[in-house]
Amino acid sequence: MVVIGVSHKTAPVDVRERFAAGAEILPELLARLTARPELEEAMFLSTCNRVEILGLAKPGRSLEDAKQAASRAIREALREQIGASSIDDLSDWLYEKSGDEAVRHIFRVAASLDSMVLGEPQILGQVKDAYDAAVAAGALRSHLARCVHRAFTVAKRVRNETQLGAGIVSISSVAVDLAKRIFGDLATSTVLLVGAGEMAEQAAKSLGKSAKSIRVCNRSFERAATLAAAFGGTAAPLDQLEAELVISDVVVASTSSKTFVITRDLVKRVMKQRKGKTLFLIDIAVPRNIEPDVHKLDNVYVYNVDDLEAEVAQNMKARHGEVALAETIVEAELSEWAAWARGLNVNPTVVALRAKTRGVLVAELERSLGGRLKHLTEGDRAALTQMIESATNKLLHAPTTRLKHAASSSDAGDLVHAVHHLFDLPALAEASDERDRDSRTVKTTSEAVPALEGDASNDRLPH
Amino acid sequence: MNELSANILFVLTASAYVAASAIFLRFLVRGKGDVGKLGPRLIALGALLHAAHIVVASLVLKVCPVEGIHFPMSVASMMMCVAYVFARKRLRVEVAGAFIAPLALTSLMASRFVGGGAEPGEGIKSFILPFHVTLNLFGVALFGLAFSAATLYLVQERFVKSKNIDGMSRRLPPLDALDRAEHRFLLAGFPLLTIGIITGTVWAKRVEAGATSDILRAAFGYVTWLVIAGVLFLRAAAGWRGRRAAYGTIAGFGFAVLVLVLYLVRKDTPHAVAVQPTSTDVRAPSAPILSRTVVP
Repeated sequence: MVVIGVSHKTAPVDVRERFAAGAEILPELLARLTARPELEEAMFLSTCNRVEILGLAKPGRSLEDAKQAASRAIREALREQIGASSIDDLSDWLYEKSGDEAVRHIFRVAASLDSMVLGEPQILGQVKDAYDAAVAAGALRSHLARCVHRAFTVAKRVRNETQLGAGIVSISSVAVDLAKRIFGDLATSTVLLVGAGEMAEQAAKSLGKSAKSIRVCNRSFERAATLAAAFGGTAAPLDQLEAELVISDVVVASTSSKTFVITRDLVKRVMKQRKGKTLFLIDIAVPRNIEPDVHKLDNVYVYNVDDLEAEVAQNMKARHGEVALAETIVEAELSEWAAWARGLNVNPTVVALRAKTRGVLVAELERSLGGRLKHLTEGDRAALTQMIESATNKLLHAPTTRLKHAASSSDAGDLVHAVHHLFDLPALAEASDERDRDSRTVKTTSEAVPALEGDASNDRLPH
Repeated sequence: MNELSANILFVLTASAYVAASAIFLRFLVRGKGDVGKLGPRLIALGALLHAAHIVVASLVLKVCPVEGIHFPMSVASMMMCVAYVFARKRLRVEVAGAFIAPLALTSLMASRFVGGGAEPGEGIKSFILPFHVTLNLFGVALFGLAFSAATLYLVQERFVKSKNIDGMSRRLPPLDALDRAEHRFLLAGFPLLTIGIITGTVWAKRVEAGATSDILRAAFGYVTWLVIAGVLFLRAAAGWRGRRAAYGTIAGFGFAVLVLVLYLVRKDTPHAVAVQPTSTDVRAPSAPILSRTVVP
């Protein structure tokens, strides 16, 4: 498993926004990803704070080869996404994790341990959306799907067993604090939400309590009206943005527009009409909605998601203890996952060994029953079949147990090869296909998939 | 009522202002201390002692504090402290004490140690004079508060513009509160200054003031009025708020202080009375006192 991407920790927003992808282009992106021969499965996660691709390498000659091929494929996909001729100049911004590190990463991301605002609840929904999109596009089918789904369980454990999410300061509420730094009491301020998505809703929740009034301006007037009605605000279509800016004090922009919705020229005109009255704009969209030069205008202040980091740092200090507890949960879950995943690697060998042993014994029994033991009654034949079954189980109990115990150790591969060699079992690639067949039980939505239920093997991931 | 009482009050006033300055400075730089209560209370105590000092010293010197020019900066700073104590909560400018306390201390010291001192001659005294001086001093006191709010605005604005919003920025009042406070102090002080300018013009015409220092003071007085009027007009008409208004306010207050300084360092003029040192001086604890002698 390989994950490559950019996050608020590695790249500023002007870099991240180049990689960002809206929901409307995700199916096409995922189709291109899974069409690559190096990738078995893939998922594209694009949020305000991160854009990353998770990929499961197709089995190759060696694990390392497969991993490198998958890494190259993902980097190539990211290069295409930003429309660059080369990704070399962006390499400094990218992070790459593989194997257990990649699993730990996705667990931490879903549990909001890698978020700008620790414990914020939106990230889990965003990961679920990415999961659903990938499943719908046929890009998530087995192992990676299970891993991501396992991440949901980790996130829920962290939420239930720690105080990380208690009294959480979301990006929106951090923005509200910042607005208070400028306006003091927001009771006399009008808040304008540009965009009517989930982030706008969060902002409305945070601001609704303290602001004088809320206005919602959106390309789709119906959505604006719905959101405005939910918070007792007023809706307006996007073509009335200039008029709305004139009467607002705090603006929260969170549209999915690829271009700037609020430009310097627009705000310049607005400020003339406002007679210089202070205007505070918070751009929580990626790609950004507000032209950065707007910040240079007098009495106008523009903050984007990266700028809120200082506020968030305070929040992180206060949650240090909870973070440690949450990290412990992640590590425990990772250990269980790793053991399960390694166990999954020996399953095809165990299945093949049982099939071979049973096959040999049954074949011998059939031959005897057709010859010297022809006279046996149906009851005796059934008893002999039962005896063969018991003998197979008893004979293979010790090797099966030892293989599974060895699964989490580093010499598991040698042992598997030895068993295959000694008993003349089918080649490992075929065994891997067997593994996939075993675990190909992914449901179609993030809500519907119970963790590892319905697995053909007995190696269920413990809860 | 003697010079010793005046000196004790002077030292106590200065101590209260020093303590208040230290508390505000500690809060701003290190984020420690209670500026919500202790700082303003020390300024209030300082203003009370300051008022007592002015009364006692003027009685000892037999000078009317709002008629003479002996105490102008001192009275203005005392009034500024009083206005701060009453307005700070309503306008959310408690931290402005960080400027008010040192300003009051500086004015107190300057009025005592700077300048030769001169009082208006008997011939030029008029019923307009105390009226003129009082209004101007109230005006300057309010401009002092506007100046403090404007300076804090510029500091906070720089923090917010540079997106350096951690640390000291958290301890400063919100930008809008500072801008609003600055505007309200200017609005309150401007009519007083306007009447002060008019009465000053009438008074100057009556006594036929024509010395260079008189003309210079009057000129700076008019410039102060023009600058403040300009700031208020441009804010209303052209939306000059925030940084531009803050710079204008600081400039206006600068000219107002210049006028006061010119009074303070005023030398003998045909309309002035020199204040000569004698054996016991309430203006300087270790120096001999001043007695009033009319300049020939």
